Amino acid sequence: MIKVIKSGPLLSIQDFGRNGYRHLGVSQSGSLDPYAQTIANCLLNNDKNAAVLEVTVGLCELAFECNTVIALFGADLNATLDEKPIYPGWTYNIKQKQVLKFSTGRAGLRAYIAVKGGIQSPVVMNSKATDLNAGFGGLNGKSLIAGDTIKITPYQSECTQCGALMPPKRKIVRVYPSPHAQLFSKQIINGFTQSSFKVSHNSNRMGVRLQSDNYSLTHSHSLPSLAVSPGSIQLPPNGEPIVLLNDAQTTGGYPLLGTVIEADLHQFAQYRPLDTIEFEYVTFKQALQAKQKLDGHLNQLKIALKSKR
Amino acid sequence: MQNPHVYALSNNSLLLDASHLSTSGTLSIQKKIWSLANHCKKDNSFIDIVPAMNSLTLYLKQDIELAKWLEQLPAIWNNIKPNEFVAKHHKIKTHYNGADLNYVANFHSLSIDDVINLHSEPQYAVLFLGFQPGFAYLNGLNKQLFTPRRSEPRLKVPRGSVAIGAEQTAIYPADSPGGWHIIGRTDIPLFDATQKSPCLIQPGDTLEFIPVSVGI
Repeated sequence: MIKVIKSGPLLSIQDFGRNGYRHLGVSQSGSLDPYAQTIANCLLNNDKNAAVLEVTVGLCELAFECNTVIALFGADLNATLDEKPIYPGWTYNIKQKQVLKFSTGRAGLRAYIAVKGGIQSPVVMNSKATDLNAGFGGLNGKSLIAGDTIKITPYQSECTQCGALMPPKRKIVRVYPSPHAQLFSKQIINGFTQSSFKVSHNSNRMGVRLQSDNYSLTHSHSLPSLAVSPGSIQLPPNGEPIVLLNDAQTTGGYPLLGTVIEADLHQFAQYRPLDTIEFEYVTFKQALQAKQKLDGHLNQLKIALKSKR
Repeated sequence: MQNPHVYALSNNSLLLDASHLSTSGTLSIQKKIWSLANHCKKDNSFIDIVPAMNSLTLYLKQDIELAKWLEQLPAIWNNIKPNEFVAKHHKIKTHYNGADLNYVANFHSLSIDDVINLHSEPQYAVLFLGFQPGFAYLNGLNKQLFTPRRSEPRLKVPRGSVAIGAEQTAIYPADSPGGWHIIGRTDIPLFDATQKSPCLIQPGDTLEFIPVSVGI
């Protein structure tokens, strides 16, 4: 068991999320940074879809009521274990009664805690992920609060500490071409890739909202609702793009500027308000190569870990 | 015959957009969308098949199949018969006692009975679902009931509310904020994540509202 002493702004149970129900209006949910989840689980020899805790901003405090091993990944939110600093990218043996605390970080927004054997919670519609809007999955469909108990299976042995690097970050986010390029003026499509955007305070697990000082992308188009998914970049008439994330609804009527490629989407888990983002359009081949490169990074890690075990 | 637009959205998703073809009305196009969704469901290639308004988005299990589907989809569309889809009909027992029922009646200078009759008369088609789990976008609201949305949205529209917003009517499957006028309520659970079949209503189904009683 893990006892939540303080949750911070948002603490939730996540895995890769739900598939197969989008036609019923059910969002994907799941870890905003699936690569962080995957690597953290790999370090513990867990299934890569084992449920993890997603910590947002920090200011969170957890007390372990049994022995286990954890892997910490994602943003460096200045975590301590019994007041001693610990670092993302590494595994740590945990003894009963130890306390894991997060302060806040200087960069990045979300940290992931994987535990040996995964977080135990009921599978709802093929996933343990918390659907925070619809209120199911995770622990009673809610974000975790002080006093909650998170189920884990005790693990008594100790593991040799191991660590992994996060895939390198890209400054310019790569985007698939817009299906609505003919609807938009050239000025909008060009403006999108020539502007530098600031992340708005109004961003959350549904989407990252962007603002630009130097370029106006306003328009007056409205479309019949079409399906949207994590990575879709909507452009509302106010000209402020929204990059949809895992908790976004399944359909929308704003035209799309394109879709963030799979290899870069995980970066949106870590953008903080006022961070700047730039975009570039890439070909389908480039997007595929980027994904293969990232998958290669994961495979190398798996091989390295196997030889160590 | 005009062809639908087919776009690759990513290496594993594609959009068939038929919204420009609706000279004969959006419903006839939508029937083809449901039939196409049904056709694609039989193939084991997709993670998700999502109908929206006169469009269908397909999410592939494997990137490698993208080219094949981009090429084949227009031909499949042209061979699809609109009536290949067998719809289920739902009778939604409705208590017409919503907080905005009077407002809607006054707005149109109708009696409350008129509003109830006009609303419960049609057979509505479930165009698609979205906004929240189990939220069905319905086709068929009588023009006489088109009502602009509330100027101030409610922070909480209770689960089961039957409401009118602009040219549409819908049932709220869960408590949620909303700017539509609440005219009634149903006790039928539309969405329950713990059930094996979590959602009562599927895209393409039909439904009608059956008035139960007026008052509390």
